[in-house]
Amino acid sequence: MIKKRPSFFLVALLFLLLLAWISSPFCLAQLDAKPAVTKDLQDKDKPEKIVAAPRDAREKTGIWVFAVWMWISVFVIVFFLRLKIKEVDRLYGLRFYSTRKN
Amino acid sequence: MKKGIQAWLDERFGLSGITDFMTKKSVPLHKHTVWYYTGSAILLFFAIQIVTGFMLVLYYKPTLEMANESVGRIMTEIPLGWIIRSVHSWSASFMIVFVFVHLLSIWIAKSYRSPRELTWMSGVLLLFISLFFGFTGYLLPWDDLSFSATKVGTDIPRAIPVVGAWVTNLLRGGEDVTGDTLTRFFGIHVCMLPVFIFILLAIHIYLVQKLGMSLPLDVEGKQEKVKEIPFWPNFVFREMIVWFLLVGILFSIAIFFPPSLEKAADVMAPAPEGIKPEWYFLFLFQTLKIFPAHVLFVSGETLAVLLMVLAIVLFFFLPFFDTKPAGTKGKVITILAYVFILYALVMSVWSLL
Amino acid sequence: MKLRYSLFTRRQFLSGLIGGWVGAFLASLVYPIVKFIFPPYKEPDEVILPLADYQDMPPNSVKNFAWGSKLGLMKKNDNGIYIAFVGVCTHLDCNVSYINEQRKFFCACHDGWYDENGINIGGPPPAPLRRLTLVIAGEEMIVKKESPEEAS
Repeated sequence: MIKKRPSFFLVALLFLLLLAWISSPFCLAQLDAKPAVTKDLQDKDKPEKIVAAPRDAREKTGIWVFAVWMWISVFVIVFFLRLKIKEVDRLYGLRFYSTRKN
Repeated sequence: MKKGIQAWLDERFGLSGITDFMTKKSVPLHKHTVWYYTGSAILLFFAIQIVTGFMLVLYYKPTLEMANESVGRIMTEIPLGWIIRSVHSWSASFMIVFVFVHLLSIWIAKSYRSPRELTWMSGVLLLFISLFFGFTGYLLPWDDLSFSATKVGTDIPRAIPVVGAWVTNLLRGGEDVTGDTLTRFFGIHVCMLPVFIFILLAIHIYLVQKLGMSLPLDVEGKQEKVKEIPFWPNFVFREMIVWFLLVGILFSIAIFFPPSLEKAADVMAPAPEGIKPEWYFLFLFQTLKIFPAHVLFVSGETLAVLLMVLAIVLFFFLPFFDTKPAGTKGKVITILAYVFILYALVMSVWSLL
Repeated sequence: MKLRYSLFTRRQFLSGLIGGWVGAFLASLVYPIVKFIFPPYKEPDEVILPLADYQDMPPNSVKNFAWGSKLGLMKKNDNGIYIAFVGVCTHLDCNVSYINEQRKFFCACHDGWYDENGINIGGPPPAPLRRLTLVIAGEEMIVKKESPEEAS
């Protein structure tokens, strides 16, 4: 029986899902953090610390959408780049580049 | 139309020489090729630093009164300011990580051997500029932690005999860390260091192209010719995969683990608890801590700083010491690289306990 | 309509796909960058001023106040009534001043003139000075943006 190696992408996907599952409570907590202050506070009321966080629900959803879009783009671009690399390597093997006039 | 524009530009700039070179330049493929990716990774993070730095400098106010407040404003009022600041902060750390990885891979592979000595030396200077970027940038939010860390950091050169106090004075813009220090660090971070790093980068990158990619010793010795691929397009497309993965990781970490901002530094307050420098200085910090107050007739701090300066000088001239890479001396120098890695890791972790 | 020959090669298609998606990703970064570089400028909805500061103004005089980051002009008429303007010339944004003797607002940049009610009467200004709604409530003067009917 021929043993088939699990595809690289399957492994990468599973790894990412695991990472997302483990890190999601921390990530959600961070996005839910209270953002901070308005300008009208007096000096003595100034908070000890300003926590970085999205200011409203719209920003929060926007960030999640961006993060998902970014990772989808990364995977799509990497997938197509791998095809492109196979192609240019093939062309190099055929001595396509050494005879080209630039 | 693209070819038309290219031809028009080439007639005037004559850049076809560069594009020709990029297609002719070849990158050897062997089991250590993965380390070749570290150089462009550094450039990627540096480019991100420039873009985010340009954006932050639009709102940051480099005076004692307004520095902390302006960073707070960036984080709360300016749309998505907290993300831009977070990306800038994390990309700095990522860049320094890759600078160290790049340096260690060159050290271990001995790529600095002739004729690449100047590439190594310009690289060491680039390392110091990167660390100085980090050091000056760390003060800019002007909170208690960065103020105290700068006080400690600028006090260290004082231990060098003869010139020490002068160096400290130069860094601080006076005896103490004041608003002048902040303005000075800002000018250095935003104006002077970019100029120096561009000059050195130009020299470093030119030398790399001129002298070609070096082969590690164990690969060079082999009989059969090493397989090579053209830099453009084959190697660049591979690098692009690395860039996109790194950008994904950087942005995710920046979005979900952004830095916060403590309140403005109180010049008269005692040093805060748990004061520590940025992670890349931790091992130096701990080294200073373990030296006793006095060793014979010399202060412990002076001895530690002098040893560090000596190590840096030897490090800078390393290619001239490692004249017989395959011999015993060469092997010792390779082992020293691993010793350094272990030392830095142990010291860094120890300083956090 | 069936084409006899493909518009582009498979190689060009792949390159186009990569370039296009990379371009789309970079374009998605442009929005947050632009939002950061051009933060929203909010004019205040209202500004509250203490009446005491303006009570002792002589008639036919003007006192400054801050309307956000712009100049606001509080004018006391001869009959004791207060009106509030945005003291910014409608020509090219210079701050205007009030010349009591002439009963006119004057813009020094290009010799623009407005009468005592802010109507443009001379020089390049194309429109009257912006009026703000003023309500006096007890010890406070509340200056608000002009209502939509007044604005038009």
